[in-house]
Amino acid sequence: MIQKKICMIGDFSVGKTCTVARFVRQTFSDKYLTTVGVKIDTKILQWPNDAEVKLILWDIAGNDKLTTASTSYLRGAAGYLLVVDGTRLPTWESAKRLHTEVTRQIGDKPFLVLLNKADLKEQWEIKQADVDPQLKQGWKMLKTSAKTGENVEKAFEVLGRMLIG
Amino acid sequence: MQHIPLSIAKYIRSLWMSELILTFFHVNKQGILVEWGGHPRHYGLPTPITGQSASEQISFLEGAIPAEHTQILEFVGVGNEKVAHVHLIPFENGTWILLFDASAEHDRQQQIQQQYNELSVQSYRQTQLLQGLETARQQLEIEKIKLEQSAQTKSRFIASLSHELRAPLTSIVGYTHLLDEAEKAEEQESSYLNSVKQNAGYLLNLIDNVLEQTRSETQQVTIHPINCKIKNTLEDLKSLFFPMAKEKQLDFKLESAAEIPEQLLLDELRLRQVLINLMSNALKFTEHGFVSLSLSWQANRLSFQVEDTGPGISKEGQAKIFDAFHREKSTQHVQGVGLGLAISRQLIELMDGELRLESELGKGSLFSADIYAPAGQNTSQILSSSPTTLLDSADNSRYTILLAEDNLGIRTLLKLYLDEGGYQVLLAENGEQAVQIALQHQPHAILMDLQMPILDGFAATYELRQQGFTAPIIALSASALSQDRQEALQAGCSLYLMKPLDAEYLWLNLHNILNPSAD
Ligand SMILES: Nc1nc2c(ncn2[C@@H]2O[C@H](COP(=O)(O)OP(=O)(O)OP(=O)(O)O)[C@@H](O)[C@H]2O)c(=O)[nH]1
Ligand SMILES: [Mg+2]
Repeated sequence: MIQKKICMIGDFSVGKTCTVARFVRQTFSDKYLTTVGVKIDTKILQWPNDAEVKLILWDIAGNDKLTTASTSYLRGAAGYLLVVDGTRLPTWESAKRLHTEVTRQIGDKPFLVLLNKADLKEQWEIKQADVDPQLKQGWKMLKTSAKTGENVEKAFEVLGRMLIG
Repeated sequence: MQHIPLSIAKYIRSLWMSELILTFFHVNKQGILVEWGGHPRHYGLPTPITGQSASEQISFLEGAIPAEHTQILEFVGVGNEKVAHVHLIPFENGTWILLFDASAEHDRQQQIQQQYNELSVQSYRQTQLLQGLETARQQLEIEKIKLEQSAQTKSRFIASLSHELRAPLTSIVGYTHLLDEAEKAEEQESSYLNSVKQNAGYLLNLIDNVLEQTRSETQQVTIHPINCKIKNTLEDLKSLFFPMAKEKQLDFKLESAAEIPEQLLLDELRLRQVLINLMSNALKFTEHGFVSLSLSWQANRLSFQVEDTGPGISKEGQAKIFDAFHREKSTQHVQGVGLGLAISRQLIELMDGELRLESELGKGSLFSADIYAPAGQNTSQILSSSPTTLLDSADNSRYTILLAEDNLGIRTLLKLYLDEGGYQVLLAENGEQAVQIALQHQPHAILMDLQMPILDGFAATYELRQQGFTAPIIALSASALSQDRQEALQAGCSLYLMKPLDAEYLWLNLHNILNPSAD
């Protein structure tokens, strides 16, 4: 079976762990339990032609920049999800910085930006104008919510397709 | 470990090893698991099978082997089981993988990190909230300024509109009045005249209502001096407050000095409003002793004092007591002070006075002021008799009055009034002419319209005062704005009269200003 290592990257408390929990176990909790180090989960994706892909998800502790510890987790990643908290604009700045640092470490890899917490519309801080420059560069983005499940499944499918082509 | 027996050392070693719970895997260069030991299940891994792909069994090895150099992955957790530090060590083309339990350290770090992260998110939210509030506050401030500006523009607009409307109306009213008095009109004509007069009067009232409306909207109050008998006012106040004083068993004194003229020219309604406010406060707060009101008069000014032996007002309280809505602490159990004092002070200022307060805690309070209130004339007499009999017009012919007014209608009307009053009249059509004529002929007084072309009344007055002209200058204006009144007085005007003027009112004021010692 094909296996792909995928990293969850983003500032702290943006919803990386929750997104994985929603995707792998269909669960969500409002309580915040910060990740230290890395948590590893797996999930098998079914492709239409009956092929299966095993995704190995590395849910890495959040930070606004890469640390030595988190750098060592990146090795062998096929692609990554860059997670942003839509209700905190600075986490988008972190995401852009992290993208640069990750690219320097492991080269250009397929990635997808998740603008998470889409359910919190009234607290939303990230405007179209904030993301337009990156969209023009060809970045792919999805608005997701680990709470409602909106676009979570889709996010992994889209990234999976980018990895397998 | 020389002096520790071997069996004890072995025991310690086994304890130490089990504490670390060492688990290891050996993977060859093809990625096949060759050998393993320890407790993979402890870390949430399945029991491995040698001879098969290592990364298919141990998921986190995907992409990590073969290791090129020694590498440590800190705090790796699989599922919800124990957390390990994972060491990847290259050895003879293959890789050795060692797992050391790091759960305790993980939990400690987790607690610290958790606190830090939660605090960061919280403080970010707070900052955003504060910023939001600040933005909202600034927005409100801008809105407020805009509203104030538009209210000001509106009241300015209406004031100038009223000027436009009043000026022609004034002359209509004046002419009909004069024609009426001339008694030359035929009966038919006089009835037509009457209805013109009535309608003009009605229009004038309408305009006044509109003005009053805008004034109350922009918090502006104006003063309308009339002839009044101050003794009557005092009588009214006495009958109003006497019962209350009696009920509280307070000594209640009303004193008016003998030198007060019977008739005074002042806004009796507004003065009454102020006195009622001060006296009712005094009576409310005073429990023992006395409350008194005393009046005196000197040099065209009426002084009053309202004194009580109430609780008094602290120094800090005195500084704030005239602010709108302020209420002194010790008086909080009593309803409805605050706004009244602010308004009273404003009214007194409009009457060219200042409301003062002296007070000592525990002793009592004394409110006092003096206002402009020249001696008046008996109104009924004026109305029933020709002015020449009342004010000696032969006497008035000693006086030359310069009338500066651009509006032909009003100029003619006022000239008629002045002629009737027996004055010598000089005319000017604008401020520049007024300055020139005044300096050349040195009139005894000037009637100065404020809104004139070339040089307006403010500027002309200022210019004359600069040139050493000392005779009285009476400002004439249709503007009811207290700011205009203030500016006129600052420019050097002696008196500010509002149009439309009737003949009696003009004569009275001229008489008073030209004979300052008369009462
Ligand atoms: N409303 C809402 N809350 C979410 C969503 N996703 C995550 N959260 C909440 O956000 C907080 C952080 O979520 P986590 O998934 O633990 O965030 P993380 O990115 O893993 O954080 P670190 O492990 O510290 O890097 C938790 O309180 C979640 O309940 C979402 O889509 N909607
Ligand atoms: Mg997490």
